[in-house]
Amino acid sequence: MVEREVTIRNKMGLHTRPAASIVKLAAKYKSDFYIEKDGIEINGKSIIGVMTLAAEQGSRMLLRFTGEDEEQASKSMVDLFQRGFDEEI
Amino acid sequence: MPLDNLKETRKKSISVGFLYQSNRSRLNLKAVNGDVGFEKEIRDKNIHRPGLALAGYVELFTYDRVQVFGNTEVRYLNHLSLPERVKAFHTIFQFDLPCIIVTNGNTIDKELLAIATKQGVSIFETPFETTKLVYFLSDFLDDQFAPQTVVHGSFIDVYGIGVLLSGRSGIGKSEVALDLIERGHRLVSDDVVMITRKGEGILMGAGSDVVKHFMEIRGLGLIDVRAVFGIRSIRFQKRVELMVELQEWKNDVEYTRTGLDHENISILGVDLTHIKLPIFPGKNITVIVEVIALDYLLKHYGYDAATVFSKRLDQAISEKTKGKRVIDYFEHDFE
Repeated sequence: MVEREVTIRNKMGLHTRPAASIVKLAAKYKSDFYIEKDGIEINGKSIIGVMTLAAEQGSRMLLRFTGEDEEQASKSMVDLFQRGFDEEI
Repeated sequence: MPLDNLKETRKKSISVGFLYQSNRSRLNLKAVNGDVGFEKEIRDKNIHRPGLALAGYVELFTYDRVQVFGNTEVRYLNHLSLPERVKAFHTIFQFDLPCIIVTNGNTIDKELLAIATKQGVSIFETPFETTKLVYFLSDFLDDQFAPQTVVHGSFIDVYGIGVLLSGRSGIGKSEVALDLIERGHRLVSDDVVMITRKGEGILMGAGSDVVKHFMEIRGLGLIDVRAVFGIRSIRFQKRVELMVELQEWKNDVEYTRTGLDHENISILGVDLTHIKLPIFPGKNITVIVEVIALDYLLKHYGYDAATVFSKRLDQAISEKTKGKRVIDYFEHDFE
């Protein structure tokens, strides 16, 4: 299991477009992917789940990967968060 | 078997102000000393009546609970002289009380109110009887401090039975849910089900506020079930009664054949019937889920098909069927 803490960097927060980017990226990997925020843990491969978080700029969350490709999955997911989903920061 | 990877959360505290705002109109609460003490925190779901503490016995005094003054407490105070009354009040105020609720339309003396205000403790008055107030307030606090968790799955009311469909991402839970909705069943939540434990053995499931009754269908995107199918296709919350797990057919997994050996799964410490449903192309999962719900209803009403069948078989064996035909046809019924 790999755990990484990330922060939402883009201005608009985790709205529909970044939520879609996250689940699309997560679907490329076999590992299970969970996101935890404020004590609530959701499946990172479900867009409804990711949108449930309604995370604004600056909110912190814990990403959890379990599976054979957890290292690669965590690396590319953390990268996506750090780029602020390629949006205005 | 407990459900893996479930994160349990529960509120650590609520503020007195929140308790007041949430129950003001329902319990007819009057904040006698304004918003004094609204920032104080309540950390216990239980309620305490401080009769003994007022009389001076403070051992085991559960001061950190909401303190309710019923007729007993108020009458006890009133039979004391004013200095004694002030002394009794000081006795309980050596502790850090969250707030006091005075029931039955009783009122608190100016002198006592001043002590509470000085200590920064809210006093509320209500016309409700103590038993009634305790009943409603316990219900509220129970709900506020209830353990919660999130389950990845679809939650549908099928013939009045709360069926939680689970299974890995992309196995088709939403599609089965959609098919069930189409057949007149009601969606509670898709993908993200917030589960709260009520009392000791009841699980309530609901959707989150943001995504209520929205659903994702792969290849189509997001749909709003309420807008597409109408108000009768949804429901806000439902008791969770059954868990149906969709699985790919595996040769090495043994599926139940008789139904005599059903499994349970535990969510937040509450046991639910857990049915593992192998799926493969051409299998109508929707109808099977409906039958699962109906069979559960039958069991609830005391009829367990597997047990009845098994008893019938035992009887047939004990009656020695030698020489008898397997079926006795109706006479002259050649249809």
